[in-house]
Amino acid sequence: MSRKLLIAGGFSVALVAAACGGSAVPPSAGATSSAVAGSPAAAAPKVQLTGAGSSFDAPLFSKVFKGFQDKTGIRVNYQSIGSGGGVEQLTKKTVDFGASDFPLNDEQTKAAEAAGGPVVHVPVTMGAVSIGYNLPIDGLKLDGPTLSGIYLGTIKKWDDPAIAALNPGVKLPSTAVAVVHRSDGSGTTFIFTSYLSAVSPDWKSKIGASGSVNWPVGIGAKGSEGVSGQVTNTPGAIGYFELAYAKQNNIKSAVMKNAAGKFVEPSVQGAADAGAGAAANMPSDLKAVFVNAPGDTSYPISGFSWIVVFQKQADKVKGQELVDMLSYVTTAGQQGVDALYYAPLPKAVQDLDAKAIKTITIGQ
Amino acid sequence: MQRALVLRRTRSITRRLIVDRAMATLFALATVIAVAPLVLVVAYIVVNGVRGIDLDLVTKLPAPVGEAGGGMANAFVGSAILIAIASAVALPVGILAGVYLSEFGRGRFAATLRFLTDVLTGIPSIVVGIVAYTLVVVPFRSFSALSGGLALSIIMIPTVTRTTEEALKRVPTTIREASLALGVHEWKTVLRIVIPTGLGGIVTGVMLAIARISGETAPLLFTAFGSSFWGEGPLKPIAAVPLQIFQYAISPYKEWHDQAWAAALVLMLFVLVLNVGIRSVTRTGFQSRGV
Repeated sequence: MSRKLLIAGGFSVALVAAACGGSAVPPSAGATSSAVAGSPAAAAPKVQLTGAGSSFDAPLFSKVFKGFQDKTGIRVNYQSIGSGGGVEQLTKKTVDFGASDFPLNDEQTKAAEAAGGPVVHVPVTMGAVSIGYNLPIDGLKLDGPTLSGIYLGTIKKWDDPAIAALNPGVKLPSTAVAVVHRSDGSGTTFIFTSYLSAVSPDWKSKIGASGSVNWPVGIGAKGSEGVSGQVTNTPGAIGYFELAYAKQNNIKSAVMKNAAGKFVEPSVQGAADAGAGAAANMPSDLKAVFVNAPGDTSYPISGFSWIVVFQKQADKVKGQELVDMLSYVTTAGQQGVDALYYAPLPKAVQDLDAKAIKTITIGQ
Repeated sequence: MQRALVLRRTRSITRRLIVDRAMATLFALATVIAVAPLVLVVAYIVVNGVRGIDLDLVTKLPAPVGEAGGGMANAFVGSAILIAIASAVALPVGILAGVYLSEFGRGRFAATLRFLTDVLTGIPSIVVGIVAYTLVVVPFRSFSALSGGLALSIIMIPTVTRTTEEALKRVPTTIREASLALGVHEWKTVLRIVIPTGLGGIVTGVMLAIARISGETAPLLFTAFGSSFWGEGPLKPIAAVPLQIFQYAISPYKEWHDQAWAAALVLMLFVLVLNVGIRSVTRTGFQSRGV
């Protein structure tokens, strides 16, 4: 009995010792960066970067940051807590960078600028949002006004004349449309509602574009995994989520009518084509939303995802690492991302990114 | 009159037997329903988790999506470190508080303390996480293993305190009196007689508390934060198994889902082993004292 306890006690003491032993690593890079640089233990000081935000970006970052680590030895720890959370933690300065699927709104910008000065938006990837549905029909066609009607609750049945007109010769069931949307605030919702606002004046005036809106109909599910799960399990359901969820879970996606009047399936290429147009008339702050983009092959519900950082980086080591990381992510890191259903940035956007990254000041 | 009553009683025996049987069946059924979820959960996790279990899971760092292999060794080590930090804080405080409440605490102050401990048990764990976030993460400007450990320790303390108190209260008064009668000081009696006698119960409480915190996710979201690397000391973010399971479970990728199931299985086995361990410790504890 007492021996057992001794063993248990010794074990926990050893664990604590192990935990404390780790503290030999420089504790806070913030105040002691010069001390770190002078430390004899590490020839080239490498501080771990911490980031948080968009869950859409997380799988991409798991791949890109691994490549960055292999190349430079700098480790980037990214945790997906949602776009809003990423911005919030950046403002609280608990992370070195945030990642978001929607640009900071006025309120967020104000809070962030009060905390750490101007914020730089760096587009890092593009993605398509699929309109997934659960019907025994392949290649269902939809357009903006119809989709908006479904989400406004004016189109209630699958055999509604509006849907039938888009799908001639297809036998549509007369079952009710089960609308599924996100219950949490999200970048995906921002892109989706931006699209609906762009194509439907009704949606724009009644609901608007935002990361979380007042849904007139439908049931909420948490996260894209929740929405895709709900659509999979509910016959007659419709929902929106990133392309990867549709592909990985074999959920049928609606073929959407784009601004040029052509029907386009959600795809990496479709998002890339839509984004290519956006590069031409990009605002100087790079906060571009390019839903319903022109072009025959553009998929209309596509958008950027951004890494957001403070323009002034007081810490020399961290600041330089951050700049290196951004440069890598927006150039070499763009290769092979389409396998994970992300659209690589067009060259024009990469060049704009390089310019934006140059505005970051280090150690001043 | 008397006779009639006796008759009535005899007649009602059949009815009473029927009611007895019916109620017993009902109670048994309720027990089955209560235990069924446990069986279902265990079975479901085993079925789904076995697929992803391999040596890589506990020896390798996470691999990016689309690359074969990779595990979550850092998460297992991270969880161990978090539990160690939490125990280092919570065990001394919890056990001493328990000893105080059982041996020395009298009157209104002790009653208040006991009540507050019970209140602490009922506080949702995510609230505890927010407390640790506000007190440690924000001032230090970094998510950290320390903040995660502290959050878990707050969850541990009331469990340890109350089980210690209950364990010591079960120590017979006669033993205490015997010690005091031999002229031993009160503090020495507590230290050498009461605590060793109640040790089995105290250990049970400690293990229960560890089992309780090893599956906690909510308090770690905004404290330990998670990491794809080995920990870099107490003031840096650290990985934890429940966090890793959560992150992987909400991803769209099958290989991550498989790893999440496998990790869930390992975590569940750990808690089960701990629970079985508790039983064996308490049993030997009682046997050796012939109770």
